[in-house]
Amino acid sequence: MTTIDGSTVRKLVVACDAGMGSSAMLAGTLKKQLKKSGVEVVHSPVAEIPADADVVVTHKGLAERARGVAGDTPVVPFDLFLGDPAVAKVVKAIQDKAQIDV
Amino acid sequence: MSDLATLLDERAVRFEARAAGRDKAIVLAGEALVAAGAVDPGYVDTMLERERSVPTYIGEGVAIPHGTLAGKELVHRDALSFVRFPDGVDWGGQPATIAIGIAAKGDGHVELLARIAELLLDPGTAAALREVTNLEDLRALLAEEDEE
Repeated sequence: MTTIDGSTVRKLVVACDAGMGSSAMLAGTLKKQLKKSGVEVVHSPVAEIPADADVVVTHKGLAERARGVAGDTPVVPFDLFLGDPAVAKVVKAIQDKAQIDV
Repeated sequence: MSDLATLLDERAVRFEARAAGRDKAIVLAGEALVAAGAVDPGYVDTMLERERSVPTYIGEGVAIPHGTLAGKELVHRDALSFVRFPDGVDWGGQPATIAIGIAAKGDGHVELLARIAELLLDPGTAAALREVTNLEDLRALLAEEDEE
């Protein structure tokens, strides 16, 4: 279990295989949702998750690989590309500057 | 948003396609990207490969097939294709009506994908996207601004 403190998140990374499909779509969506919170949203292939990421969001099938790359950075797996509750929880925590366990 | 006419070239759009299964549908979505000059023909194989590792069905009757990381080398520019299957396609057990083929070198297509996601999160606009039958209506749907 890892805790995400929404108030300290500055950079959210959406990780995917090639970084051009679903992760790009989700990154675009999150960018819009988090614009007002001033959080940088980027998407990247799993192997290239940037070291300064505060939260990594990735499809559940890639979560293990992402954890291997991300080290101590919290990794949030999701299942649905559209409207996943786990992703919505992270967005809300950032917007409310609240803490959540993932 | 980047120029919609460049990102979604009219040569990459089909409204009345038929495919007997997911792989055939992916090939059509890939060939549409080839027709638009966005990718080398070899890119289509990487789309099939990628689909076998992680399926690209995202919900609301839409799949977003795209290539692998290695396939990126075969991409000439960021582009999308739009292929509509009025009779539907069995996409690994899910009924797909639309395949949006993606080719990307950079991030030029991200805003457009986000716009598509936005359309799909609303059942009304998702249905409108599935039922669109001409380029003009499709571009109008995709170009709409947020109502914030």
